Amino acid sequence: MIFLEVDLSQEDNEHSHETAPAKAWLMGAAGWFVPGLGHMLQGRWGRALLLGGAVWVCFLLGFYMGGHLFQYDGSLLRLPPMIGNLGTGLLYIVPWYLGYGFTDDVQRAALPTFEFGWTFLIVAGLLNYLSMLDAFDIAAGRKS
Amino acid sequence: MRHFLVMTAFAGLAAVVFGIVAKDSKREQFVYGLKVFAEFLVIGLVLGWILYFLPF
Repeated sequence: MIFLEVDLSQEDNEHSHETAPAKAWLMGAAGWFVPGLGHMLQGRWGRALLLGGAVWVCFLLGFYMGGHLFQYDGSLLRLPPMIGNLGTGLLYIVPWYLGYGFTDDVQRAALPTFEFGWTFLIVAGLLNYLSMLDAFDIAAGRKS
Repeated sequence: MRHFLVMTAFAGLAAVVFGIVAKDSKREQFVYGLKVFAEFLVIGLVLGWILYFLPF
């Protein structure tokens, strides 16, 4: 009978010391700030167009359908959707700065697609979190 | 009809991102994206019909 002795502790240490380069964090941050930018800066034009495009289209469709963005106003129930919305980066920050798109006015709420609208706005942010992680992984060399 | 279109748009956008992020080769991405798209639509329609027959 043959026994193979493998020193797993050394292998684990090698993995635990593996750190992502600063460039990867920068690409991730760029991807969060402007959807698609993290891939664009790495010359991944196809991915930038498809991933960034999907997020932008989702966000714009959300507004078109009458959706609104969420912000924390002391109610804990508003925190999870706000975290979702925040995923779109600049697309959330600009309306927040301008004070646009956060209120449920009666006309928009009366639209049959009103609830689809804010769902699309949240999903746009969640999809951008995935896109951001993809840009990070590519820059860190974990993905081809 | 409008609801179905919205559901199709949602499935399409999510499928694009899921496909690209989850798989490596272009063929795998395309196949997985199509699978996700079909799953969203089929599950949405099935759930819609189940809810339609519920009396409350």
